[in-house]
Amino acid sequence: MKESLLDILCCPVDKADLELDVEDRTDEEILEGSLTCTECDEVYPIEDGIPNLLPPDMRDEAAA
Amino acid sequence: MARPDDLAERRGLETDVYQPAEDSALLASATVEAVEAGDAVLEVGTGSGWVAAQVRETREARVIAADVNPHACRQARDRGLEVVRADLVSPFRTDSFDVVTFNPPYLPTDPDNEWDDWMEAALSGGETGRRLVEPFLEEVGRVLASSGCVLLLVSSLTDREVVESIAADAGFETEAVREESYPFETLWVLRLFPVGPDTS
Repeated sequence: MKESLLDILCCPVDKADLELDVEDRTDEEILEGSLTCTECDEVYPIEDGIPNLLPPDMRDEAAA
Repeated sequence: MARPDDLAERRGLETDVYQPAEDSALLASATVEAVEAGDAVLEVGTGSGWVAAQVRETREARVIAADVNPHACRQARDRGLEVVRADLVSPFRTDSFDVVTFNPPYLPTDPDNEWDDWMEAALSGGETGRRLVEPFLEEVGRVLASSGCVLLLVSSLTDREVVESIAADAGFETEAVREESYPFETLWVLRLFPVGPDTS
């Protein structure tokens, strides 16, 4: 994800701002890392450049 | 396009991600028409990312593609789109988008005849065909800029009048900007405008 995406993202649960932690990035985008809610401390992973902002109760739910 | 009992046929060989079809083309043309240079655009339920990519290729707009399905997210990213794995519009900030476009899963489905995989989720609109349309319309006003609009694909299989009345309850005026008839259904693209001061 591009860092500028942060300007339009929020925590899906309480709509608070997110704090970015970068583990791996290119010049253009963040490949691995996480987004942490500044209100409820929920951590949302960024994997292969895609932030997973599903609410926690949906995150582990996989289709059969 | 497909009768409800043609769900099996409609699935074809693809089991993970809905691929562009007639409804995608209809939605893409209406969305491209609604988007102006400099707009921020969100496609909810982007699937393969085809509609979002059409917008990005023809308009100088920032296009974000969202889907609940991880396989869809990957396909959309492979098209070079900015992708967020999301439940409808829940992780987007208030007043973020000028245009939100959505081709929801809408085939009414018998609960005893479901596959429970990602393609099922991409096609099935539940018993009424409106499983996701209702929560979407309740929340989309929040992320929409005040002069923004929503493009929503609706099929005669899900009852356009009911969808329009849900939209009205959520504070939108609706206008059909596309219509196309097939042997078993008619498709419309509705353009929804927030009305009144309180649309959030």
